[in-house]
Amino acid sequence: MDILTSYSFLIVAIGTVILSAAAGIVGTISVIKGQSLIGDAIGHATFPGVVLAFMLFNVMETSILVIGAVLFGIIAFQLIHIITGSSKITLDSALALVLSGFFGLGMALKSYVQGNPYFSGTQGIDDFIFGQAAYMLKSDVYLIIAASVVSLVLFFIHYQQLKIYTFDPVYARTVGISIRFMNVLVLAMTIMLIAVGLKAVGAVLIVNILIAPAVTGTLWSNKFMTVLIIAAASGGMSAFIGTYISTALTGIATGPAIILALSVCVVFSMLFAPKGILAKRSRLRKLGEAV
Amino acid sequence: MIEVFAVLLVTALATSLLGVFLVLKGQAMTTDAISHTILLGIVLAFFITADLRSPLLIIGAAVIGLITVYLIELVTSSGMMKQDAAVGIVFTALFAGAVILVSRYADDVHLDIDVVLMGQVLFAPLNRVDILGVSLPYALVQLTVILIINILFILMFYKELKVTSFDPVYAAAAGISTTLIYYLLMTLVSVTAVTAFDAVGSILVISFFVTPAITAYLVTKRLSHMIWLTLLTAAFNSLAGCTFGYFTDISISGSVASVSLLTFLAVFFCNKNGWIRKTLKSRRMLRKI
Repeated sequence: MDILTSYSFLIVAIGTVILSAAAGIVGTISVIKGQSLIGDAIGHATFPGVVLAFMLFNVMETSILVIGAVLFGIIAFQLIHIITGSSKITLDSALALVLSGFFGLGMALKSYVQGNPYFSGTQGIDDFIFGQAAYMLKSDVYLIIAASVVSLVLFFIHYQQLKIYTFDPVYARTVGISIRFMNVLVLAMTIMLIAVGLKAVGAVLIVNILIAPAVTGTLWSNKFMTVLIIAAASGGMSAFIGTYISTALTGIATGPAIILALSVCVVFSMLFAPKGILAKRSRLRKLGEAV
Repeated sequence: MIEVFAVLLVTALATSLLGVFLVLKGQAMTTDAISHTILLGIVLAFFITADLRSPLLIIGAAVIGLITVYLIELVTSSGMMKQDAAVGIVFTALFAGAVILVSRYADDVHLDIDVVLMGQVLFAPLNRVDILGVSLPYALVQLTVILIINILFILMFYKELKVTSFDPVYAAAAGISTTLIYYLLMTLVSVTAVTAFDAVGSILVISFFVTPAITAYLVTKRLSHMIWLTLLTAAFNSLAGCTFGYFTDISISGSVASVSLLTFLAVFFCNKNGWIRKTLKSRRMLRKI
């Protein structure tokens, strides 16, 4: 029980809860548009950016490493865009290509840095792979809050446009919404949240906090606003539970713990939500009785 | 050095051969999912046997690999979410479970997180086995067997693989079970991935599977050409990556993955229908207009 009131736990929990709630909201767009794995490729691709930023400045300062992460996220996305746009390579293949190539580069750089006496304090790099909220500082949490607030403000300023863009891009174009601007907006919000979330959740699994809350939301409702609220709530709640578990028990990284909590939400919704398995069964049974 | 390279080369050939069909079937990200989740199979089997060389590990990983594919299919076909969301959720959930098990319960054994991520091909020659009086790295023997199995599979089911990749409707009409071929392929993918696990780790093995095939796909139109070019690219990538990694003293699998991406980009930008030619051509057209 003393964990719940301990200062360091509260700091970390505030950070992860806000991050997951914001990621749940922003991730909903990609999930509905069927582009959720782009987040996976970007998440992996930010890793070499983190290591390179560390190599250039030789400090373990999250605010600097985040810049490298954002840059590499953008490069990766552009590369995917160019490859799928001007060759017969499918999105599926391009994602796998960029994801593994960039992450491999990150691994190569990491092994170089960690084997080199010139760099000090290199153990911290590992935290960006699976996340280690226990080592999060107050400044890391401020960074998360700043990025989440900025992306949520952007999201709700453009709420109407984003909604139309998500569900009916053709109509969006006819009413004069710039598809290009919307793409950039969604990408910017996604990359920002991924970059600040790396230290909490890690590069490998961060895509889950963008997908799982949104999937939970879509199982419970068809209304966009309700989906967003449920996504934010389930994201925030799972983040709190995950952070608690990872703080209470030693040897459990925070990212995987949050993701298991989110997965429980998804499985629960798949069973019991209005669009879930049990509801479908009972509907079929009623239909059978009626016939 | 020679032995390290040999292990890497055999890994590259065995994985990229299957990669050809994975790319053609649009299953690259499903393969990525499998290569993550097999870790759960390895960990669970390891808890039972406590022996990293036990064949049970391969069986465990193959079973989890198939469960992954099946779960993704099941969730997608129920209409509750799109396929890409299903892939993203299933693999992260299973992988998160595996990571927690490794970091919490297997801390003092050989299964540590760095090995999980990038393997340790440099240590492969240390683990040896005697065959007909010749001492060979264990990984090399194991991977060669897998390579032979994969080659036999492709030879035996070449026609079926071809038809189900390019024209699933015709395949169904001709009485070829797309599902059966798909699950056979995915079983081999899991088995190959777990065998390659020690050498190249869980995350970078996806680069070995798909990058050579995607590179070859850019410049070929016939399946047979694509297969040969894929194998050639795979061999080149592992030779170049291995040499570079060895002499700069960095992670060899990381180096191979980076070199593979570079090879792809070189082909993508510079081949005769590549990006540079295309962009120049459209510029010239615009100027004419």
